[in-house]
Amino acid sequence: MTLARAASPALRLRSGNQMVVEGALRAGCRFFSGYPITPASEIYREMTNRLQGRGDVALGAPDEISALSYCIGASQRGVKAMTATSGPGWALMIEAFQYALMTETPVVVTVVQRLGPSTGGATQGGQGDVLLTEFATSGGYTVPVFAPSTPVECYALAVQAFNWSEVLRTPVVLLSDKEVGMTYEALDLARLPAVEVWERPAAHPEGYRAVQFGAPEDVPPFAPVTGPLKVTLTGSAHNKDGRLRKNDPETLQVLEHLEAKVASRAGEMALVDADLQEDAEALVLSYGITSRAARAAVRLGRAQGRRLSFLGVLSLFPVPVAAIRTAAASAGRVVVAEENLTGLYRRALAGAVPDLELHGVNAVGHMVRPVDILEAL
Amino acid sequence: MTTTFLANRPMPYCRGCGHGLVVRRLNDALVRLGLEASQVVLTSDIGCVGLLDPLFPEIHTVHTIHGRSTAVAAGAVLADRLLGDGRMKNIVAIGDGGATIGLLHLAQAALMNVDVTVLLHNNMLYGMTGGQHSALTPEGFVTATTGSGNWVPALDMELFVRSCQGPYFARKLATDNDLGDVIAEAIDFPGFALVEILELCTGFGVPLNHMKGSSLRAMVEEQGQRLGVLVRRDDRKPYHEVYRARFPVVAAPDGPEPAVTSTPLPAVAAAPAFTHGLAHPTSIVLAGSAGEHVQTAAAILCQAAVLSGLHCVQKNDYPVTVGTGFSVSEVTLDTEPILYTGVDAPDAVLIVSADGLNEVRGRGDLSRLAPDGVVLADAGLPLDSLPEQTLGLPLRATLTGDQAALGAVVALVHRTGILTPGSLLAAIDVLGLRNRDMLRGVVDSAVGLNAVESPAARSVRG
Repeated sequence: MTLARAASPALRLRSGNQMVVEGALRAGCRFFSGYPITPASEIYREMTNRLQGRGDVALGAPDEISALSYCIGASQRGVKAMTATSGPGWALMIEAFQYALMTETPVVVTVVQRLGPSTGGATQGGQGDVLLTEFATSGGYTVPVFAPSTPVECYALAVQAFNWSEVLRTPVVLLSDKEVGMTYEALDLARLPAVEVWERPAAHPEGYRAVQFGAPEDVPPFAPVTGPLKVTLTGSAHNKDGRLRKNDPETLQVLEHLEAKVASRAGEMALVDADLQEDAEALVLSYGITSRAARAAVRLGRAQGRRLSFLGVLSLFPVPVAAIRTAAASAGRVVVAEENLTGLYRRALAGAVPDLELHGVNAVGHMVRPVDILEAL
Repeated sequence: MTTTFLANRPMPYCRGCGHGLVVRRLNDALVRLGLEASQVVLTSDIGCVGLLDPLFPEIHTVHTIHGRSTAVAAGAVLADRLLGDGRMKNIVAIGDGGATIGLLHLAQAALMNVDVTVLLHNNMLYGMTGGQHSALTPEGFVTATTGSGNWVPALDMELFVRSCQGPYFARKLATDNDLGDVIAEAIDFPGFALVEILELCTGFGVPLNHMKGSSLRAMVEEQGQRLGVLVRRDDRKPYHEVYRARFPVVAAPDGPEPAVTSTPLPAVAAAPAFTHGLAHPTSIVLAGSAGEHVQTAAAILCQAAVLSGLHCVQKNDYPVTVGTGFSVSEVTLDTEPILYTGVDAPDAVLIVSADGLNEVRGRGDLSRLAPDGVVLADAGLPLDSLPEQTLGLPLRATLTGDQAALGAVVALVHRTGILTPGSLLAAIDVLGLRNRDMLRGVVDSAVGLNAVESPAARSVRG
């Protein structure tokens, strides 16, 4: 993915939020429900206008819990669905999000981060919800999380979020932030990256069970409610018939399967933007809006004759371990730049690649500046 | 024709619990309506009402999270009616605990008139967790947490449904002979229908209150509540019908959807590429008052830059009140792709109102001004207090408040030569702005604005 060229008269100003909408529609989203919250409100408004304009469904919800619950119901009927929110609303959605994970219901939640904790700052950016997103489930199940840094990436990663949500039958988070979502940039709408659109696997009568899988990493074929195959869904621990059980062997298999189907595809899901140099003095690893400052820092440093590498992580989770190891292997020092106080992704990486020594560049209440990153490299 | 949907197995409920009666009457209703198993969805809440699934082996069962059953069901129904084949009959089984925690979902479903049927199993306490009181526990009723009798009045679901304009409400006893008829009527009703079914929890309600089922009727009446089908309105259309009438299906184009879909893009004026005079990356802060089209002026600047072959980004900031106080836009222009979008040292700060001045002072833009940066300010502002690079312009005296921000942009462009006024005119066309002629007039008149003399005023570069 590259930034759009500016020379064509076809260029238009579009925000990251608007391009999330383009991506969701491209992916086949036909149901949106939202509750307004800055800096995600533009997605709510545009999805409403676009979906209603063609007769698809957009619902204003009385709260964020309703919004995600409506989406889950629609998805169980077989329709691709999305909601969008920011930190305070995301906190309210977490119970329903876990329900989607447990019932293997595809749904996309776009979280446009803002300054926290609590109400924080509505129009102040931040990257503070990284771990709240990834570890939103009891049990620490891997939640696929994609993080765009440009409007074009918002488009492409929105499609990816839907694709993985559908084929894995699991909820996926598109983790944007205020500076990505509410910043307008010129781009060429007629020259967006080519994308594929994937669909959830469909169930067939032969051998059908409510939760049907052989190997733990298999994805159970999907049957919609009101279809001919009997659907049994529950957020309680359950066996392959969807029946409430606590800890019999088959129920434990289901729980292990929920993790295995995502974790086993970590390699396929990995998306990074790498600009590496052999024998680099340092590698800066970043994501979301801060990866742009990181690229700017690398550009500045190279102009001063330094050897520097850049790795932008687009798929935050599952952690793209192989790509990170490759990038770090030829670099002397690894710096993780992110707009939060305590280095949230750095902490996740400390668990995923424990042998790497990671240094942090952090900021809160303002964007991480290229000069600050360069100083740390 | 199906004679029963019930499995031949014992009920999972305590002996004497009303839930078993409700299940049988629900089965009677489904049979009577001649429904196919595949078109029925039983959506259950948390609690003993959530044990429905094994009782109906052919019917879709969706066991949800506490209180949210109505919302999940509403999403499924609307997807089915508006995007599917519309066969779904979704029946929500919820207790008084679920109704308490999920009251807003019931309210919204009733207000919208979503075509779901809610069976509210009201045993006046939380049975599964040890008999705690709920919002539907009557005054005087003894629970595990109201040992001397509840001292808060119960929510009257009839009044609740009425106030939400819900079109169907019935209050019945689990032991009523005609409960199956009422459930069938509610399922058949084309819109939101709630049936409150009173029962006693044999685990807690009976022993704590020394009551029998036969005394329930008197208890309801003591509270001033009524029994029977109490609301049945035919004047409200279900939500999906209202929605479809407003938002008809627009036929999708054949073949795969193009990357760019239905957003009507503004037609590009037959504008040639414009020249620019940008010598280095340039950041501009435009500050004014909310409601005075500051962001529109910034968008015109950006679009003009794009038409002139530049990269640009625009960021807007405003207070939470939106319609009062400041409005600030940050615009960065570059001949190269813009990576970092922050504005650490603005090359130009345009201030068109007192709100804008206060905000740029608070943000520190003036103290972070680039070494050769410029400030353009409305001449009505206290210019003496501004940096010596400041140029005063009679923006608000010559133009209106709504036009001042664009006027400042025009002045900047004209005096620095970074863009041509013609590119601004073309940008107004490309953006398809409603008040096009007025905006074009601002561009024409602002080009001729003369700087106001002030002790601090110096000429701007270019």
